[in-house]
Amino acid sequence: MTKPLVPVTLMVNGERYDVSIPPWRTLLEVLRETLNLTGTKRSCGEGQCGTCTVLIDGKAVNSCLYLAIEAQGKAIQTIEGPAAGDPVVERIQHAFANKGAIQCGFCTPGMIIATKSLLQDNPKPSEDEIREALVGHLCRCTGYVQIVEAIQDAAGALAAKEGA
Amino acid sequence: MTYLRRLPKFAYAGPTTLSEVTALVADTAPGEILLLAGGTDAILQMRRRERTPKTVVGLKGVAGLDGIAEESDGGLTIGATATLAALAASPLVRRRFGLLAEAVLQIGGVELRNVATIGGNVAGALPCADLPPALMTLGAKVKLAGPKGARWVALDEFFPEFSRTAAQPNEILAAIGLPKPAPGSAGTYLKFHDRHSMDMTVVGVAAFVTWDAKKKAVAEVRLAYANSAPTVMRARQAEAVLKGQAPSDDALAACAEEACKETKPRTSWRANGAYRLELIRALTKRAIRRACEKAQARPGDAP
Repeated sequence: MTKPLVPVTLMVNGERYDVSIPPWRTLLEVLRETLNLTGTKRSCGEGQCGTCTVLIDGKAVNSCLYLAIEAQGKAIQTIEGPAAGDPVVERIQHAFANKGAIQCGFCTPGMIIATKSLLQDNPKPSEDEIREALVGHLCRCTGYVQIVEAIQDAAGALAAKEGA
Repeated sequence: MTYLRRLPKFAYAGPTTLSEVTALVADTAPGEILLLAGGTDAILQMRRRERTPKTVVGLKGVAGLDGIAEESDGGLTIGATATLAALAASPLVRRRFGLLAEAVLQIGGVELRNVATIGGNVAGALPCADLPPALMTLGAKVKLAGPKGARWVALDEFFPEFSRTAAQPNEILAAIGLPKPAPGSAGTYLKFHDRHSMDMTVVGVAAFVTWDAKKKAVAEVRLAYANSAPTVMRARQAEAVLKGQAPSDDALAACAEEACKETKPRTSWRANGAYRLELIRALTKRAIRRACEKAQARPGDAP
């Protein structure tokens, strides 16, 4: 089979991309290789590690297990969000940096996107709820303690901003 | 290094109605078509080249296939592409079919539950799937849609052998139906795995009981098992041992012993057969006890 390219329109961080891709490309592959949005990372390729997490219509999803062609017509958000003006993601990033929740940084994009999804549904999560929300995310550096603290910090800051 | 691999090449079809899906599936050879619901299993199977379909039929855009609706008789109909997250969030499921919500939340993490579907978990026909045991004990039926219409099959007759279902090649799993639970009934699903989460089931046990408050006994009991045989299975002889009895230590031990005779757990790198039998023995007793406690905590409620 030669490469039968299909036209696909993707909305990523509010921007429209018209691409021609083979139907067997995953969303992760298209984000990284076709759109050069390399903030979303590839690690396990099996839905175990969470580094490839993006939001599709507001829901956290492993982009390595999602066909790009099926993301057509949906709103995709990646870690590049702040460039397109997402203050929530930006606030979470600050919290991760300030609390030392980043060491090598490879898991961070997925962690931050998952945090955005968590705080959307649950603005004041308990520690248990944070850990439960992150079961699909592996970090081999920090031991998770600082990540949990960063998420509590971000939740507090965002709640304060909301109240102001 | 399979994780860097591309998916195998395939053509993609994105039907929007169930009749388009059945038309696409009709007259195709086995393995030619792959029905892709959530894809959390199917994409991995393709990446490992266990499945190399000519055409992938994506089901995410099929209208009305993801509904969760209460029927007039108090039963529940769940569309095949309803996600695990949608089930866990459904007030109807949480209130009336708590056992199902409990089993759903033991699968994967947020990201997987947001895309994985109930239909995929059932139609994959894997012995390690967590929803079939819970659904079997709830008395589930599956709706198979084909070119000549639809038919319903009891879930406990849906898995004739490992990785195979009773669906004909031109039929697709369209929905799952659950009857109204009896008053005073409750269930639990216990899943044993090594890690706290994101892990494959070593043994899973679903127990669903109807409590007779007058006799302080188990009026009805259903038991179903994951990873205890080549397919998910009901243990009807074990159920018969306990039916009508008070859940005494002796009665539970006899029931669990019978379950060990009925199941045929395999040895794999995850656990050997003897260990799995110990799990079946222990978890059967524990699951029945918990289900009885739950059922007693809501006496006479009309769920």
